[in-house]
Amino acid sequence: MVLVLALGDLHVPHRAPDLPAKFKSMLVPGKIQHIICTGNLCIKEVHDYLKTLCPDLHIARGEYDEETRYPETKTLTIGQFKLGLCHGHQVIPWGDLDSLAMLQRQLDVDILVTGHTHQFTAYKHEGGVVINPGSATGAYSSITYDVNPSFVLMDIDGLRVVVYVYELIDGEVKVDKIDFKKTTTTTAH
Amino acid sequence: MLKSKLKIPDKTRKPFPDRLGSLVAGFDSRDGENGGSGAALEFGEELETIQPNGFGSDREFEEPDDGVEEECAQDEDAAGGAGGGEPDLRARQRPNTREGSGPVSVLEVIAADEKRSDVEHEISQEEINLEKLQRIATMGLPDEGGLRATSWKLLLGYLPPSRKLWEKELSENRLKYAKLKEDLLISPSEFARRKNLNSGPCETEAGSDVDGPLRRHQIAQEDHPLSLGKASVWNQYFENTEVAEQIDRDLQRTHPDMKFFSGETVISRRHREAMRNILLLFAKLNPAIRYVQGMNEVLAPIYYVFSTDPNEQNAANAEADSFSCFVRLLGDSVDHFCQQLDNSSVGILSTISRLSELLKTNDEELWRHLEFTTRVEPQFYAFRWITLLLTQEFSFQSILRIWDSLLGNPFGVQDMLLRVCCAMLLCVKSKLLRGDFIANLKLLQHYPDINIEHLLQVAMDLTPDTSSYRLSL
Repeated sequence: MVLVLALGDLHVPHRAPDLPAKFKSMLVPGKIQHIICTGNLCIKEVHDYLKTLCPDLHIARGEYDEETRYPETKTLTIGQFKLGLCHGHQVIPWGDLDSLAMLQRQLDVDILVTGHTHQFTAYKHEGGVVINPGSATGAYSSITYDVNPSFVLMDIDGLRVVVYVYELIDGEVKVDKIDFKKTTTTTAH
Repeated sequence: MLKSKLKIPDKTRKPFPDRLGSLVAGFDSRDGENGGSGAALEFGEELETIQPNGFGSDREFEEPDDGVEEECAQDEDAAGGAGGGEPDLRARQRPNTREGSGPVSVLEVIAADEKRSDVEHEISQEEINLEKLQRIATMGLPDEGGLRATSWKLLLGYLPPSRKLWEKELSENRLKYAKLKEDLLISPSEFARRKNLNSGPCETEAGSDVDGPLRRHQIAQEDHPLSLGKASVWNQYFENTEVAEQIDRDLQRTHPDMKFFSGETVISRRHREAMRNILLLFAKLNPAIRYVQGMNEVLAPIYYVFSTDPNEQNAANAEADSFSCFVRLLGDSVDHFCQQLDNSSVGILSTISRLSELLKTNDEELWRHLEFTTRVEPQFYAFRWITLLLTQEFSFQSILRIWDSLLGNPFGVQDMLLRVCCAMLLCVKSKLLRGDFIANLKLLQHYPDINIEHLLQVAMDLTPDTSSYRLSL
């Protein structure tokens, strides 16, 4: 039972001052085992804050990040799943499923987590899953101003993943979940 | 199990004040309680002329459990040979210079066999006479054949005295335990999955070949991992991780010298996991006390004895049996662990003062010396003795022997426990009288190895403290 937090596109301080208070009250240290962050934090303070939630932090570089040494893409294996991480501004057209699928095949992962569009999406596509956790602060994006703060928490348990989607709609936190199962095992390495 | 408290067991109906003198001299004129002790007593006397240090059973268990078999044999002959023909004072005053014993003699082996057959006979009855079993247990139970395991289960009341009910009781209890585990120790994801299965098959499972947006499902309000609500399964799970972590830490430190408990082998891991489940379950079922450091030590002998039962079915269910017996054993002393009750009449301080009174009744000189002259308050040493049922003071094998007596006492574990504690003080009386605060404290907190049979004998012969008897419990 591994809990993985996926979030990104916070754009602190340029576009948003901080995470919403309701999100912050829920995110306490000790519960989450990994954090994957799609990028655009943008400053070190946010990095430090995430580090306090969980020591295992993975970040991919977004175009506005002030830390230049984050990698463009990252892959990691958690349990039976291979996860891929990329900010998404490199994949054109932005948010296009087929292009993202191309990236997924390139990275050879089961779950691809990208951001940049600031909209939550979760798609099953050609044998893998593409998840976009949206913007955790609700910052405006290059595409739209109408953004709800959202992030994603994945509960990886064997071959099954339960994805909990946290969205702040009209000041209230709404939680949904998505279930999916992997059909074959991956070789551990 | 407690009959009228005023009944004084036969064993102590010897002249009281003289006992103290005889304790000091170390000579014990007690007759053996078992049959065949006459021969053994002569044997003891005979040996005493040859080995003035007292014979073989004197030898203390100074090394840890590497020599378990050897110690077993020693324990056997000590148990079987009429309490081990008493060491005299001279032997005790040279604490660590025990010579090696002579070879285990035929008579000792015979005595051990006799004891084993006594127990076997008793246990194999259709209706077991608990009193008789208690008496036998007080003399010490044999180590092999799973006899100790069965006896302990009977003495703790886990198994009913009527043999035909055993099957039923055991399977019922084991089933209950399994269900408890399932209800309380389940991980939240497992819980969520089961709920999912119950509330209808999931479409996404079936439609795994269909591409497209994944469907979002509603969830009950509190049912997500970050929920802070009290009723949430997840929240409770995370609250318990703290307790679980402490239990884990303590388990790592349980008996590090024994392969059974420590090390990274599959077996020891499995044992630790079983103990972890038991302690976690106990903590959850008793939110008032939860887990207190030291409970792992009380659990260890029980779990060890039950897992090393040669009967395979029993050994496989050791976890379930240990849980029930652990709960029963702690039933009397659970108040000792509750901090709020410290000063009340059932708390640890009251028990400690009962120990003090017992010492005063039996040996006022020593009591005075400890309380006033050297100011060694019983809290400093007796707290650990009492709450942990002496598991930290002696070697593992000795603990098993002492627990035989504790469980076999018709007046209950606590009563015998106080007696043994008092006996511990009496047995090192001369050193205590000579020492000051620091020396005494050091001595009592690192209790020296002594002959366990002698200790238990002294304990049984103590005058009970009648000044503060509670007629009703």
